[in-house]
Parts: sequence; structure tokens; C-alpha cells
Amino acid sequence: MYRKQVRRRRAVLLLLVAASLTLLSLYYREGNAGPLHGAENVVSTIFSPISSVTDRALKPVRDLVNWFSETFDARGDKAKLEDQVADLRDQLARQQTQQGEAKELSALNELTSGGIVPDGTTPVTARVIGRSPTVWYSTVTIDRGSSDGVRADDPVVAAQGLAGKVTETTPNTSRVTLITDADSAVTARVQPSGATGVVEPNVGNPNDLQLDFLERGSQIAEGQMVVTAGFSTGDLGSIFPPGIPIGHITRATVEEQQAYQRVHLAPFADLRDMDFVKVLTTHGGGGGQ
Amino acid sequence: MILTPGIMARLAVLCAFVAIAQVVCFSKMDVFGSSPDVALLVVFSIGVLGGSLTGAVVGFSTGLLIDCLLLQQLGGFALTLLSVGYVAGRYRETVGRPTRGAVALLGGALTLLGVLVIAAIQVGTGIDASVSAIVLRDAVIKSLIGAALAIPVLLLVRLVVRSALVDERRGARRTTAPRPVEP
Repeated sequence: MYRKQVRRRRAVLLLLVAASLTLLSLYYREGNAGPLHGAENVVSTIFSPISSVTDRALKPVRDLVNWFSETFDARGDKAKLEDQVADLRDQLARQQTQQGEAKELSALNELTSGGIVPDGTTPVTARVIGRSPTVWYSTVTIDRGSSDGVRADDPVVAAQGLAGKVTETTPNTSRVTLITDADSAVTARVQPSGATGVVEPNVGNPNDLQLDFLERGSQIAEGQMVVTAGFSTGDLGSIFPPGIPIGHITRATVEEQQAYQRVHLAPFADLRDMDFVKVLTTHGGGGGQ
Repeated sequence: MILTPGIMARLAVLCAFVAIAQVVCFSKMDVFGSSPDVALLVVFSIGVLGGSLTGAVVGFSTGLLIDCLLLQQLGGFALTLLSVGYVAGRYRETVGRPTRGAVALLGGALTLLGVLVIAAIQVGTGIDASVSAIVLRDAVIKSLIGAALAIPVLLLVRLVVRSALVDERRGARRTTAPRPVEP
């Protein structure tokens, strides 16, 4: 009885193994249109609706297991990803800074190559390295000094227009007094009318300048551009060369009691957010452009 | 295991369900970079509970269905699960009813055997791609998962075929026997 069972067991086992190997061999040899492929397709087709239903039914289970697995993996990835995010943020900040600086330098070059730099003047590009922390923003420090040919009273232009003048130098740095400083005064001309006056700061408001001492009756209108006049009379002359944009007229008022007319203008240069400026040196600078 | 038509029908439904679930659910699970081979463990459990012949037949049928559902090389999974079911059944027939520790070890070992058989079939049928070391890692993880799941799967399968199990019937008879009357 036992031997019979063993024989039957062995026979079935051999039969099943032989069937498996035969299927493997035949399936491997036949093409996609063979009978085994066809039978497989039929079985798959029959079971596909059941598979579909089972798939939907078991999806919560699968999602639950995968959620645990993903959570476990995510904990391991967290520190790595945080490092990557920090690196990428640094890179982005650097690139944005470089992009902004490049744009500013480009605008600065355009401005100084537009014919406003008089003959015999050497523009020296400088980086703004210090800024007054007060709301006045009346002075900034630049990284070029006397060793670069920068001297006191040299005009300083920003990307959009006149910024101020150098008031103090060290071998490697200089202090620039901006046109919004209380001591600043720049002779200027309104275009296209040609009326001249003196640009002075509106103390306490760095976004507003005043063009004073305009001849009464001058044709002034809002939006007109104001540039440096750069007059020269004998030994007396303006330190600013003519034609450097300063700002545009924002408000023109006529005061009957005054002998002169006074208008308000907004500076072109964003004096609170400058990274680069050009110092128009006249003493043969050693610094680069 | 006493194989009545009812029990065979249960086994057929169980194997069909497990084959489908393996393809649509368990294979898609991600457990430490691998996936549990529950179909293999069910076949292993049936082999342990029903013997080598039952294990081999159920393994062959389940494997063949998986091959069809996956539209892949016919006979590959059939041979693999046939081997697993037969070995598990032979263990029961020669060593006896396994302890829980032995079930876990056997589950892990037979999962590894299944992975090796599948690998051998793939290599034997001329796989073109280069085989990376990740295959080894997958085999180890799959075996560990198999060891961990072997006992719960065995308990579930035992629930399904409980009425056909000789040991369970003996136990049931013992528990339902009338108590001796106390003096």
C-alpha cells in the first residue's frame, strides 16, 4: 500500500516536472502565434476581469504596505534631500545674484559708453561694499580707492544715472556721497527745454530730489528728463560732466513769491539698491573698467 | 489532508485567488526594495499541511496560472512552485509536523529556493541582459520576508482547509469528548 503511494507520488511528480519542462521548451521554441501563446492569451483574457476587480479591491492593502515602505524610505532620504535643497538654494541664490550683477554691469556699461564719459576720463568700475544703515542712504563705500586712481570729487554713476561723487578715499576704498545727501548740489539741465538749475536733495526722502533755481517761466512738464549741466566758466566748473541722466520731473509747481521756479524729480538710479557703480576718474586710474 | 471534492474546490479557489492577488497586489508592494512572494508561501503551506503530492499539484497549478496571467514563459513559475510544494510536503512526510521556528526557517529557505529556480530558468532560457548584484540582495530580502510571513500564511491556509486536516479532526474530537463525571 505504502509502495503504491510512493510510486504514485513519484509518477505524479515526474509527470508534473516533465510537463513543466515541456511547456518551457515548447513555449521557448514556438513563435508568438503558437498554440501555447494562444492558450495563455485565452486564460489571461478570462481572468482579466477578475484581476481587474481584485486589483481595485486590494489596492488599499497595497497602498497601506507601500505607505509604510515609502515612509521608512522617506525617513532615510530626508537628511539627504535637506542637504540637496540647501545646496540648490545656495546655487540659486548665487546665480540670481550673479544674474542681477551682470544685468547691472551691462546697464552701467551701456550708460558710460553712451557718450557721457568725457575725453580724458577713465571709468573705474567699483563694487558697493558698504552702505549706510539709515533710511537716508546718503553715503556708500566702494571697493576702489586712490590706488585705482580714484580721487575726491570724482563723479560716480550707477546703472541708471548719476549716483553722487567721491568724497573720501583710502588706497583701496572710497566713500561716495550720493546726490540725496544734504550737502549735495548738482547743476542740471531740463531736457528738452534747456532750463538749468541745481539739483538738491529733499532731505528725509531719498526718492525725491528738487531742481531749484530754475528761471521763472521755464517750460517744465512732468516726465521731462533732467541731466547734468556740466557748466564750465574759466577755472570754475562743475565736477560732473554734462549729459549724465539724473532723474525725471515728477511735480512742477509755481510759487508766486519765489523769484525762481522749483520742481521735484525722481532719481533714475536706485540709490538704495546699487551693487556696482562707475567712478569717472580723471587722474589716470590703475583700476579696471 | 483528506481531499474531498469540497476541499479540492476550496484549494482551487484559494490558489486562483492567490495567483491573481500575487500578480495584481503583492508583486506591486515595496517592502525594503523587494516584494513578498505570498503565492509561494501559500503553496508551501499547502505542502506542509497536505503532503508532497498535494503540494506539487497545487504548486504546479498555481504557478501555471501565474505564468498565464503574466503572459510570460509558460512552465517557469509552474516548475518553481511545484518544487516548493513538493519539498515542503516531503519535509512534513519525513520530519513530521514542523514547529513554528521550523516553519519560518523553511518558509525563508523555500523562498530562496524559488528565487534560485526562477533565476536558473531565466539563465537557462538565455537571458540577454547582464545580471547585477541587486538580484542577490533581492533574493536575501525576499527570503527574509518569506520567513517572516510563513507562519501567518500557514495559519490562514490552515483556516481554509481545516476541515480536511487529520490532525485538526483528532484535536477537535479530543476537545468535544465528554468530560468524566466528577465524584
